[in-house]
Amino acid sequence: MSEMSKKILLPQTSKQSNMLRYVPRCLSFTLLAFILNVITLSPSIAQPNGEALFKQNCTSCHVVGDNKVVGPGLKNVHKKQSDEWLLTWIKNSQAFIKSGDPDAVKIYEEFNKIAMPAFALKDDEIKSIIAYIKTESDKAPVVAPAAAAAGSGATAEESKETSPLVYLLVLVLIIGLYSILNRVQKGLERVVRQRDGEAEPVVLKGKARTKSWIREHKKLIAILLIVGMVYGSVKGWDALAGIGISQGYQPDQPIKFSHKLHAGTNKIDCRYCHSGAEKAKHANIPSANVCMNCHKYIQSGPQYGTEEISKIYKAIDWDPAKGVYGMNQKPIQWVRIHNLPDLAYFNHAQHVKVGKVECQTCHGPVQEMEQVKQFSPLTMGWCINCHRNTEVKMEGNGYYTKLHTDLLKKYGPQAKLTVDKIGGLECARCHY
Amino acid sequence: MEKKYWKGVEELNNSPEFTRLRDNEFFENLPIDELLQNKASSTSSTSRRDFLKFLGFGVAAASLAACEAPVKKAIPYVVKPEEITYGIPDYYASAFFDGNDYCSVLVKTREGRPIKIEGNKLSSVTNGGTNARVQASVLSLYDSARLTSPLSAKKKATWSEVDAAITSKLSQSAAAGKKIVILSSTLPSPTTKKVVAEFSAKYPTTEHIVYDAVSYYGLLKGNELSFGKSMIPSYRFDNAEVIVSFAADFLATWLSPIEFARQYAITRKLRDGKKNMSRHIQFESTLSLTGSNADNRYKLKPSQLSSAVANLYNKIAAATGGASVSSSATPQDKAIEKVAQELLNAKGKSLVVSGSNDPNEQVLVNAINHLLGNYNSTINVNQECNLRASNDAAVIELMSKMNAGEVGTIIFWNANPIYSLPNSKDFQAALSKVGTKVSFADREDETAQFCDYVAPEHHYLESWNDLEPYKGYFNLVQPTIRPLFDTRQPQESLMKWAAMPQADYYSYLEENWKSNIYRMQTGVTSGQAFWTQSLRNGVFEVAVTAASAPAFTGNVQDAASKITKPGTGVELVMYEKTGIANGAHANNPWLQEFPDPISKVCWDNYFAILPSYAAKMGFKQGNVIEVKVGNVSVKGPVLLQPAMAEETIAIAVGYGRTNVGKAGNGVGVNAYPLVTIANASMKYYTAATVSKTVEDDYPLAATQTHHTMMGREIVKETTLSAWLKDAKAGNPEEMIETPYGKKKVEDVDLWASQKNPGFDRPNHSWGLGIDLNACIGCGACVVACNAENNVAVVGKDEVMRSREMHWIRIDRYYSSDVTKENAGEKGLGKLDMYGEMEKPAAENPDVVFQPVMCQHCNNAPCETVCPVVATTHSSEGLNMMAYNRCVGTRYCANNCPYKVRRFNWFEYTNNEKFPYTMTDNLGKMVLNPDVVVRSRGVMEKCSMCVQRIQYGKLEAKKAGRRPLDGEINTACAQSCPTNALVFGDYNDPQSEVNKLAVDGRSYHLLAEIKVKPGVFYQTKVRNKEEGKEA
Repeated sequence: MSEMSKKILLPQTSKQSNMLRYVPRCLSFTLLAFILNVITLSPSIAQPNGEALFKQNCTSCHVVGDNKVVGPGLKNVHKKQSDEWLLTWIKNSQAFIKSGDPDAVKIYEEFNKIAMPAFALKDDEIKSIIAYIKTESDKAPVVAPAAAAAGSGATAEESKETSPLVYLLVLVLIIGLYSILNRVQKGLERVVRQRDGEAEPVVLKGKARTKSWIREHKKLIAILLIVGMVYGSVKGWDALAGIGISQGYQPDQPIKFSHKLHAGTNKIDCRYCHSGAEKAKHANIPSANVCMNCHKYIQSGPQYGTEEISKIYKAIDWDPAKGVYGMNQKPIQWVRIHNLPDLAYFNHAQHVKVGKVECQTCHGPVQEMEQVKQFSPLTMGWCINCHRNTEVKMEGNGYYTKLHTDLLKKYGPQAKLTVDKIGGLECARCHY
Repeated sequence: MEKKYWKGVEELNNSPEFTRLRDNEFFENLPIDELLQNKASSTSSTSRRDFLKFLGFGVAAASLAACEAPVKKAIPYVVKPEEITYGIPDYYASAFFDGNDYCSVLVKTREGRPIKIEGNKLSSVTNGGTNARVQASVLSLYDSARLTSPLSAKKKATWSEVDAAITSKLSQSAAAGKKIVILSSTLPSPTTKKVVAEFSAKYPTTEHIVYDAVSYYGLLKGNELSFGKSMIPSYRFDNAEVIVSFAADFLATWLSPIEFARQYAITRKLRDGKKNMSRHIQFESTLSLTGSNADNRYKLKPSQLSSAVANLYNKIAAATGGASVSSSATPQDKAIEKVAQELLNAKGKSLVVSGSNDPNEQVLVNAINHLLGNYNSTINVNQECNLRASNDAAVIELMSKMNAGEVGTIIFWNANPIYSLPNSKDFQAALSKVGTKVSFADREDETAQFCDYVAPEHHYLESWNDLEPYKGYFNLVQPTIRPLFDTRQPQESLMKWAAMPQADYYSYLEENWKSNIYRMQTGVTSGQAFWTQSLRNGVFEVAVTAASAPAFTGNVQDAASKITKPGTGVELVMYEKTGIANGAHANNPWLQEFPDPISKVCWDNYFAILPSYAAKMGFKQGNVIEVKVGNVSVKGPVLLQPAMAEETIAIAVGYGRTNVGKAGNGVGVNAYPLVTIANASMKYYTAATVSKTVEDDYPLAATQTHHTMMGREIVKETTLSAWLKDAKAGNPEEMIETPYGKKKVEDVDLWASQKNPGFDRPNHSWGLGIDLNACIGCGACVVACNAENNVAVVGKDEVMRSREMHWIRIDRYYSSDVTKENAGEKGLGKLDMYGEMEKPAAENPDVVFQPVMCQHCNNAPCETVCPVVATTHSSEGLNMMAYNRCVGTRYCANNCPYKVRRFNWFEYTNNEKFPYTMTDNLGKMVLNPDVVVRSRGVMEKCSMCVQRIQYGKLEAKKAGRRPLDGEINTACAQSCPTNALVFGDYNDPQSEVNKLAVDGRSYHLLAEIKVKPGVFYQTKVRNKEEGKEA
């Protein structure tokens, strides 16, 4: 009897327990969701208008510090001059100098008579800039502006991302909740059994317990195995297919060059530095002399101060104090991110100049990347897909004029003349 | 008419070995044991199980390793030169002259590395043509055998040490009144000559002696005897209607072959309505490239050639009223009579040249040209050629001076007498009596190894210089790369040693150009502008004042009495091969693997003997024979060479080097010791005794006889008179047997149907036309293709297994005289006729050349059999090959009717077994970065320079226009000195290739199989009467 009853009894128990088990799980999920909500909804502080204006208009010649760039360092400028003086100066410095203001003339003389351009800014805009300089001046300690900048950058990053500690806390909470509820459930079961006068089930120990569990969960095990195998194969296949694909590759570079700052904030055209993109196969990494076009004047950056920029000076052997070049030049060894295999020929000019493809189509939002990473997989499938979907820019290019009319005759006037229609999938377009 | 052509003597004789090779085309013994290098493997105790373990581990390790990509660096310039855009080539005008060939060139550089040589079209001398040696010269820049610093007593030294030592030695020599001898090859450079003159002024005992490995002393001296001045005139083959050459190989090696090939081709082409051709008659002993292109070719023993010239002179003199001379009879006197008549008919529009180094024979040749009135029309004495100035008499005299201890210092400049002098042992002994020996050699060559100091020179691509190949024709040489090693220009060394005030040769050159050469013109008004313009163009040419008829004052009687009389018995003749020439570039693997246009043998020289004569002597191909001249004996293998003169043995100079580098050392035998010195000049033929040795047969690596296309009409041929009557002469419509009777090839199609009309070429349709009438078989295209497409060099062993990798080959076919038409006259039955057609009636066959590369068939047989679709067709008519898709089944090669596909049996990069171009970092610098280097186990073939097509298209697209005809060109067509190859777009109605394609002479190779090739050929036309000699 006891053997039989066990067999009948156990499933029943499990059914009941299943229902009861949902309780702690649901509870824990609700809790998790609540915590996550709290984190994501934490208020983001609105940036003051002055900062944006300062970065837009002033950073190419000034820093909030003591060091001179093109113009003077602006730390505590609000203490040196009145707001009215500053307003007049910023709006039209040349006229101000001509008016004969002694301070204005002095600054003009001091900076080798390099005129500051007139800015068409409203009074409140200029005031917001001054306010920004004020807060920055108070914030920035006199010594090591670079370290401070780096420090502030780090804290900013931390506040954006949820720290792992929070997740751990949530996990402990969930486990605690689960075990409490489990005990409650077991206690309730015992109470039910006692009420119904049922015998306590025999508690098996060690191997026997495992064996019996296995025997009683054959279907579950089979399902788990199948799911595991399918999952394993899919993951394995993906892993193997990913060999040689380094999408997301984001190596550290010898100079912490920020595309976000240059292409994003300062809106420098990609092709200013990557000048080969319109002419040749290679978009080319700019040589240090291209950096010097600006960095001869901009000697300190907002994030790392002079630390990173001085690496350019070291490479090209420029002495910023004396403003002279030396002979001891050493090339900068950048880490190559986009590595096409030798067997594939890719030409930037074909895509950028002829195909009028945006840089971001393949390289992603580089203007938002602090540190550049490989955005696209650069696989052949990826190339082919784009060639199937992208229309050839035939309009206005004399090379395509006849071909365009011929193809429209062949495919109809509304046809999408994609790259594959003019042989863009042929092997020898890329492999030779 | 249908001639029977055969590809080699093996095929003709149908030897069992040949049949086996032919039937088993891919027969090979895989040298796997050798490559694995383990005799141990057969005896080792590694079990199969262990092997599988290792294999498993290996695979696992390899896949793990593959997961982690290595970090690659991208290192830009610190300060990028303005003119460089990464990925866009820069071209610099320069000039090539190595003491042998002159060529005005454009050097293609990529990111500061010269990678390819192209012809400079602005030069009216070479006019954009090149040859194999010029094409290969870029590889010599990256030769790891070059010296990396100066040597003092065979040890590395610094320039200041060497300069100090040499300067003091020079002063000592000068003070002691001893001679300072500069022994150099010809230096046709006005500024260099000025440096040498200033050096001589500083050291007054200096004597400059010009010594060329292959001497043109006879030509110089002959002109001196004729016109009172030692010089070489300029020749204008393009003005000649009848060209008669006595053993002058002017298309391959003689004087200025690129220039002459271009001129010659002008007279041979039948394009743009031109309906006349020059007549070319060659008398010679060996089968030269020039002889193989002749309309009529007559064989004479070397010693009979001078008498033949004298006999021709007599015939001409008789008709024009000149004095006759005494002469001996030759076997070709009947032909000479006819040739004389032809020359007389073309008076003033003919040209007779001779390759002899005998001044007296040259006097007779000059006399013939004089009587024919050829001076000022085909020969210009006023426009002197500066390319050869060798003085044999002075060199011979130098040895006696050296022996007498009169020479204090000797300086070798591009001269290697210990290798190239016939009496080099005597020279070596005399050299030991010279106080100080200095060499400018770029490597420790045969002569430099005996020198106290070596002051290594730059490669020409690292140098500044100027050249004046002809009077008034200047060409600047400019560096295209910084010197790779610590070397210095010889000019600069001389300037240092003579303590000249100029800082370097560059400033000296610029100064000379701005002040002196600038004054020769009036168009440009400032020295700086003139210098910049000349540097950009490379060339500067000024008109030479109109020629007045030169006074011929040669003594023909005296000359005729001194020429060689016909000899009896075996004669040996030395010649230069098209690839290696005088042997200066023997360490260039491209040239070593370049098959000789005639014999198709690479990596060797050999004794070439007429098959019937060899049979008489009991020699077979590959037998090692010993040839004795006086007390010099040389052993070498026999090559059966049809069309050789009877009782004549020929061997090429330029081989058998011992101190040139790993690729060239010990390749072939040195034939220079067989040259004799007679009447104070080098004589390149001599009586010899020949005997067979007991040595094992020596295998020769030939690229032909491996691929047979026998029994089909491959090269179509006609005569000028037949072609004038019928534009399709020799090129009848191909007909195919069908169930409905014979049909034209174009009316039968297995591929296209009404539903599927075949291929579509919406944008471009690329094609290549090859004019077999203009192709001289020189092989510039073969080496150009090597350079452009990173073609691997595989070495002699692999060539013997027919694994050469050349994407373009030049097939050479000999004809025999038995044809279907004349078989009846000879009383031959049908079966006998075919038998006779195979037999060597080939004592003096016609020769044809045919460049064969991938034909880019529109119905390509290779494409349909590839199991992995690695080879497909493009919408622009190109047969594409995706190397990384190829798994190496080689079905495509088996199915290719033209046998143009090449299989990579081994990894040729970084493989010490193939130490040629791609094993060291230096050699890899020559690789074209736009063409992938193929790996082991994949098939490759001509891509029709798709990288150039893509580049040209992109340039057009960027500019928003269609590509211009001729703007895009393949490497082979571009290198061709005769413009025999024309590349273009069939879809462009104005393109030249389109015009040629519809010409009556155009045909497709194996048209009957209807693969519709993108490449077409044009019938060869000979300017001679059918079946008649002359």
